[in-house]
Amino acid sequence: MRGPVSTPFLPDEPAHPNPIHASPSPVHLLLPAHARNIAVVRRALEAIAEELALPRRLVEDMRLAVTEACTNVVRHAYGNGEADHPSALRVALLPEEQGMRVIVEDRGRGLGPSPDIRGPGLGLPLIAALTSELEVSHGADDRGSRVAMSFASAPIEAT
Amino acid sequence: MSEAAASPNGSPGTTRVSIASGPLVGPVLRRVVGMLAARADLPLDRLDDAVLVADLIASRAPAHVQAASVDVDLETGDRTLLLRVGPLRPGGGEALIVDATVPGVGNVIEQLADDISVAPDGDAEYLVVRLAYTS
Repeated sequence: MRGPVSTPFLPDEPAHPNPIHASPSPVHLLLPAHARNIAVVRRALEAIAEELALPRRLVEDMRLAVTEACTNVVRHAYGNGEADHPSALRVALLPEEQGMRVIVEDRGRGLGPSPDIRGPGLGLPLIAALTSELEVSHGADDRGSRVAMSFASAPIEAT
Repeated sequence: MSEAAASPNGSPGTTRVSIASGPLVGPVLRRVVGMLAARADLPLDRLDDAVLVADLIASRAPAHVQAASVDVDLETGDRTLLLRVGPLRPGGGEALIVDATVPGVGNVIEQLADDISVAPDGDAEYLVVRLAYTS
């Protein structure tokens, strides 16, 4: 029978060691605000969710909400090539005891009407429906916007 | 830092990943690197190489970083992926390269990278690794 394959320079650990509930380990991403970079954020989110062994339903909600928040930045925050700046889109992924907190920030035009009014405008209501806590505010120094989302796995209720 | 390492062809932007030293460094870095390697249109074998280098950096870099996080700038170009690891402590770049030596295998990063260099920057330094595919 074939034995386990291990990479020689990496510690031999099971694929899913004990869930990382006790030691949150934040991850920060700085990216140009381009649509294709939303997939990078999703990848990082999925990696953390997998390590935390979060429930699939919660991970799907997180993916959708974070995609919406990042899409808002890509579509509405910048103009005139400002989106190309390496830190135009800032994302913090913060593991918590029973879920994750995700903060999506930009340094663009901030909250308010956007020249891009295509679409049904369901982004924020959708995010609100998918999060256990949502905070929308101006970014640091009153520049841009900041969307802070908390996702918590609901306790299983006895029936 | 060599010119080739500093500016890959047609670089459309940089992604910075900053991961607190701990159990998430490996899983997050390997996914992001794998995705950007695919975006850079690296073939499957070079994509695997890039992920291997990411795993190695994730496992070795925490001992050499200046702060409590592993920071990596990633740039994609035409069949090129550039990783800039740091800020590292003085001497950390060379130490990280040395740490990449595996008994019986040799230095994995040196074997897989097309270009590897240490770029000093004030009190810190950066390890710059370029992976490319040339047909």
